Amino acid sequence: MRTAILAALMVCLGASLSAQQTNRVTEAQAVLAPLVESYGVSGSEGLVRATVERLLPKWAKAKSETDTAGNLWVRVGKGDPLVVVVAHMDEIGFVVKSIGDDGSLEIEAQGGFFPSLFEAEPALVHTGTAMVPAVFMPRDSVGAKPQRTPAAFRVDVGTANRVATESLGVRVGNTVTMPKQYVRLAGTRATGRSFDDRVGCAALILALRRLNPDRLRHEVAFVFSVREEIGLEGASAAAASLGGRPARVHAIDTFVSADSPLEPQAFAVAPIGRGPVARALDNSAVTPPVLVDSLARLARARAIPLQIGTTNGGNDGSTFAAWGVPDVAIGWPLRYSHSPAEVIDLRDVVGLADIVQAIAERW
Amino acid sequence: MKQPRGIVLGLVIAVTAGLRLPLGAQASGAAQLAQRFAGMTAITGYEQAMVDTVLSLLPGAQRDRAGSAVLVLGSGEPRRLAACPLDETGFAVGRVRPDGWLTLRRSPARIGAPGPLFDQQLEGQRVTVFGQRGPVPAVVAVRSVHLTRGRGPLAQEPFSVDDAYLDLGASSERQVSALGVAVLSPVAVVKRPQRYGTDRLAAPWAGRRAACAALLAAARDASKSGGRTRSGTTVVAFVVEQQLGARGLLTVATTRGPFAETWIADAAGAGPALAKAELPPGPRAALGPVHTWDVPTRYPGTPVETVSLPDVEKTNAAISGWLTGEGAP
Repeated sequence: MRTAILAALMVCLGASLSAQQTNRVTEAQAVLAPLVESYGVSGSEGLVRATVERLLPKWAKAKSETDTAGNLWVRVGKGDPLVVVVAHMDEIGFVVKSIGDDGSLEIEAQGGFFPSLFEAEPALVHTGTAMVPAVFMPRDSVGAKPQRTPAAFRVDVGTANRVATESLGVRVGNTVTMPKQYVRLAGTRATGRSFDDRVGCAALILALRRLNPDRLRHEVAFVFSVREEIGLEGASAAAASLGGRPARVHAIDTFVSADSPLEPQAFAVAPIGRGPVARALDNSAVTPPVLVDSLARLARARAIPLQIGTTNGGNDGSTFAAWGVPDVAIGWPLRYSHSPAEVIDLRDVVGLADIVQAIAERW
Repeated sequence: MKQPRGIVLGLVIAVTAGLRLPLGAQASGAAQLAQRFAGMTAITGYEQAMVDTVLSLLPGAQRDRAGSAVLVLGSGEPRRLAACPLDETGFAVGRVRPDGWLTLRRSPARIGAPGPLFDQQLEGQRVTVFGQRGPVPAVVAVRSVHLTRGRGPLAQEPFSVDDAYLDLGASSERQVSALGVAVLSPVAVVKRPQRYGTDRLAAPWAGRRAACAALLAAARDASKSGGRTRSGTTVVAFVVEQQLGARGLLTVATTRGPFAETWIADAAGAGPALAKAELPPGPRAALGPVHTWDVPTRYPGTPVETVSLPDVEKTNAAISGWLTGEGAP
């Protein structure tokens, strides 16, 4: 169904994709959509990990293993240099801090976002065995001078007391999200919540699908990490386990783009649809210029469009810095980061998968 | 103003898309209809798809000159009116920019937002644009939280419609046009009715939609009962443009009245607003004394305005009693 919609949208807009490009975009969507529609607030990535495993090629699934931190690893090829490619599985959201006498839930944010985007919206409480529908409660009063940002708000699961809430299976420590859906926009664009970093996960899966594991010239570790949004915790565990062995680490994560009329245009100007982005300078790492140049050469050799830029945010690769491992972070441009309506261009997902594949095969 | 067929089709499709199976116990009758209506969009002046739905559910009802759906039960005197407003405050495309982004204006335009945080419901959320070729998904732009870091505190004024940039995924006016979207295309937040608890239903304008469901279910039952209604004429009207001077209601009053009494089904709190409205005295007088059937709401005026489905059934029972004369006050 989504394939048909994609074809119709592109015909409607007169998009000039070749049949091969259309197939690649369709495949990217088929991998990305179920990842986006899986829920996994930091620390509760189990459903996302299961979706990743389901989407891996059989040979990669057979090789996959989950470490004690919760990271999912797929090790491909043999011998040095070891190259690490990492994308995170978790998403922003909330965790239940307490259950009130009136049955409502006190919640605490996991990760950084504007709370106003969740106020007075539908909610889901993830109990581990079920999703309990609820609502994020609106503020009681706007006051004489209304403010954009609400004070702390609670979740109403539709009960009148603590016992009734607990009878739904809700417990302190459960995670809370907003219902989400992958939706196609015009042309090759799409919207949803938690593209950050399910696009990175999709790129790793798509690259693995195209790799011949017997023909790699060195070992590549594909890591689907946990708890990035609350402090790069999964990647930190992965880095500690590998120490100084990797020659490079490639964090495959969002390039937060200023491609919007609302954003200052001083930096981060990487339009969506023009390819993945060398995330050469962010709040956690600086890629050595010589490696940015190498990456650009690799992209040119494979005819992969590559943008080069600087944006805000940290990335998983920076956790390898203590061992002197260079971090060559690569992103894909995203509008409206950490909002319920993030927007991407699927052509960038294809380009990102291609660059990951090229790194594994040729660099 | 007559709606282009494409817009009507789009709104009808959106209604279908907005449906969601109940998560808890199966509702029936008025409650089930309330869930269906909660997924619908009927922006002031652009209610025709919802009127079409009402007409399809209420045999014998007809569209009047204002666009409202009207059913007449019985004949003779006295004449009574039972009405429910269909419309909601929403938006229409105000401008298509050369770079493909759209800007908005509110409808109805002659009044302000229903509340200081009403427009903020749009920010960073998915919306539906009802284009001439069907509903088109879009999002309302929001600043990326990452890019605000290190740049000083954010302005704390609530988001306003003038801050809204719609992103269809298009990058030119030509692409926007190819999607059937143009200036005046209606725009509303995506309706995602949420059942929660044992009997609650949350959605934008859930109270008003539930009240209309209660009236429609009662009118349908009364109509089916072979005319077992109270003596005289009872006009049942699902009226348009209530928020624009009660145009639909007053048209019913002037063309079908005068009425001995008028009852309005609506979300609790909406009745007094009508009482305070400055209406032309002649048409207002034709309504007679105005009473209300109120559906209680929680979180009114928000995207999660909540009704209790048993309350909807109670309202339906009260209306049914009034229509048949068995429970008339």
